[in-house]
Amino acid sequence: MLEVKNLVFAYPGQKAPWNFNFTVMPGQCIAIHGASGSGKSTLMNLLAGFLEPQSGDILWQDKSIRNHAPWQRPMTSVFQEHNLFEHLSVEANIGLGIHPGLKLTQENQHAIELGLQSVGLSSFGSRLPGDLSGGQRQRVALLRAILRQQPVLLLDEPLTGLDSDARDLLRQLLLEQKSQGTLIVLASHDQEDRQVLADSVCSL
Amino acid sequence: MSTPIRHSAAPFSQPGWRLWPGLAIASALIVLAMAGLGALVWETSLPDMSQLWRSRYLRTVVIFTAWQAFLSVALSLLVALPVARILARQPAFPGRAVLLRLMELSLVLPSIVAVSGLVSVYGRQGWFTGFANDWLGASWNLYGINGIVLAHVFFNAPLAARILLQGIEGAPASQRRVAAQLGLGRWWYWRAVEWPAIKPVLPGLAALVFTLCFTSFAIVMTLGGGPAATTIEVAIYQSLRFEFDAGQAALLAMVQLFICGFLWWLAARRGLTASLLPDRRVAAHRSKAGSSVWARICDGAALGLFVLFLLMPLIAIFLRGLPGMGAAFFPQGSFSGNPALLDATLRSLAIALPAGLMSVSAALLILASGSVGAKSALTRLTSVAAYLPLMVPPLVLGTGLFLLFRPSLGSSNQGLILVTLINAMMALPFVLQMLRGPMGSLDLGSRQQADQLGVLGWYRWRWLHWPRLRRPLALAMAYGTGLSLGDFGVIALFGSPGHPTLPVLLYQQLGSYRIDAAAATGLWLILILLALFSLFNRLGTPARKPGWTTNSPRTVTEPEHA
Repeated sequence: MLEVKNLVFAYPGQKAPWNFNFTVMPGQCIAIHGASGSGKSTLMNLLAGFLEPQSGDILWQDKSIRNHAPWQRPMTSVFQEHNLFEHLSVEANIGLGIHPGLKLTQENQHAIELGLQSVGLSSFGSRLPGDLSGGQRQRVALLRAILRQQPVLLLDEPLTGLDSDARDLLRQLLLEQKSQGTLIVLASHDQEDRQVLADSVCSL
Repeated sequence: MSTPIRHSAAPFSQPGWRLWPGLAIASALIVLAMAGLGALVWETSLPDMSQLWRSRYLRTVVIFTAWQAFLSVALSLLVALPVARILARQPAFPGRAVLLRLMELSLVLPSIVAVSGLVSVYGRQGWFTGFANDWLGASWNLYGINGIVLAHVFFNAPLAARILLQGIEGAPASQRRVAAQLGLGRWWYWRAVEWPAIKPVLPGLAALVFTLCFTSFAIVMTLGGGPAATTIEVAIYQSLRFEFDAGQAALLAMVQLFICGFLWWLAARRGLTASLLPDRRVAAHRSKAGSSVWARICDGAALGLFVLFLLMPLIAIFLRGLPGMGAAFFPQGSFSGNPALLDATLRSLAIALPAGLMSVSAALLILASGSVGAKSALTRLTSVAAYLPLMVPPLVLGTGLFLLFRPSLGSSNQGLILVTLINAMMALPFVLQMLRGPMGSLDLGSRQQADQLGVLGWYRWRWLHWPRLRRPLALAMAYGTGLSLGDFGVIALFGSPGHPTLPVLLYQQLGSYRIDAAAATGLWLILILLALFSLFNRLGTPARKPGWTTNSPRTVTEPEHA
């Protein structure tokens, strides 16, 4: 269970700090909803450990992870863009999610191949991210997040700007993850995404 | 779903690995500089400060040093400014890129080599001297202040022009567009666009050129021509080497340090934020030149003269050096096994390669240390240490360390180790400037991703920094090595005349008027520099170009190298 308790954060000069509170169970998706500037991305960054809250706590399985470094948290983020290292091939980008030093076993490599097949990118492994379309890049980013096998997925507008085919494919992938017990925190403007994926909504 | 085992154990992933090695290096640099300076003050009996104005010799030396440096700065900027403006006005002409590269040559061209070329052109038997004496009726003498200032302008005007050009081309494109739309003439274009762009660069640039000329050693040693044209650096050398008067050397070293330090302090107060190294990217903004045919002809003629000024000494080195190359390697008509040139080459490389490696390693560690989040006094220490060598000239440092280690500095090998160390320090500010940009090029998004994926420590270096740094690192290594290879300052103090490096050998040949042999040595030194640059350029180019397929996990299971 992921529990966000009185998580308070304000940027320098911000008069009214944000205060976040919610609870989500594994296998569920919570949609974070709000206007631009309402704090959706800030919340995602706080959960991922990229920002430090002023007070409050984040609990995972009843244990505080507030002071954990980003790589120690049980989470993987997928943003709207800039998810991939541009100078590394698609395979290397995914491989870094499995082992941060790219020391991969045959089994890992097989998993990458299968994963690429499942997202319709089987012949794209050696390409650079710059050679891919926006939808293809997001598929790679999501595949990396899935193969990283973390129990929480933080998705910050991951489907924004994609064509309908790409959106459908990615939604399908996310629903599969949910059914396998992955907890999803989804920040999205899109009502359809929320309807398809979310079990609950947190409005900011 | 259970949380899988975390791969958090990336080698060297603790933040301390980024912070402490760089801090240790920075502290060592400061300690070394302080020890050198401390030794000057404490280990010698300083002569009375009043000697500075009572001793005619010392007074002349200090005044001459400042005067020649001032003249050199003024003339270098006087040449550099129009050249930079012309190059900015003429963004596309054949050979522009080559000319820009040529203008960077002064960063690595050993001054002693350039001097041998200048002697061939402007010396007693030189091409230019013949022309000036026969056709213009002038009586030109290279030796003395003429030659010193000429050599300083030869070295510094191209570098200054390159940096000024960078400044001008850094002017906002919107300003240039507005100026073009309004049809501003050259004077108003200068006032509205160019002057505001170069104004921030000028104090630092002037301080840099002044320091380089003020502390110039090889040029003054070879072209000074007598006691009337002696600078502080040369006087320090003479005090230590010939007069064995360490106190006088210490006094002069402190005067030099005070003047250079004061100048850098002044420049820093004016905001020393602009880059003082030419950007490796060939600058070329694509606005239309918009000048008349006549104006373009004038620009072309001025650039032609400038190119001639740059190329003539280099051509002279080539033409005079080439015939002597055979004799240099085969002194008695056959390969003698250990000709002086080969011996000096090996000695030079034995100093320069470790010096280059040390400066690059130190620069990387210092930059890594500076990139650690908290900007504490400790991390600020790293930037001070890195630029310390610009304020403490090599001979001053060498003098102090010479005095400090004098009792135990037994063999010449120990002296060479010290030379290597000081050469590495001297190259550090330049190497740092080259690596700073690429090292900081990892954007926030990539850093956050890497943090989340646990790509830390060695893994981050291997997969994220190394691909970006490989090329600049190779280039920095080439510059660091090149600067040390051409050093004729510290080596003159610690080296033994019987075991010369290439610049020392060249100096000895010039001193005994073996001009052809000197030209051959100079050419050989340039060829080695070119070979080094091409070797490092090759090392800096990834083996296979497209797609980073060589780094795909299929083929790489262990880091190959770094």
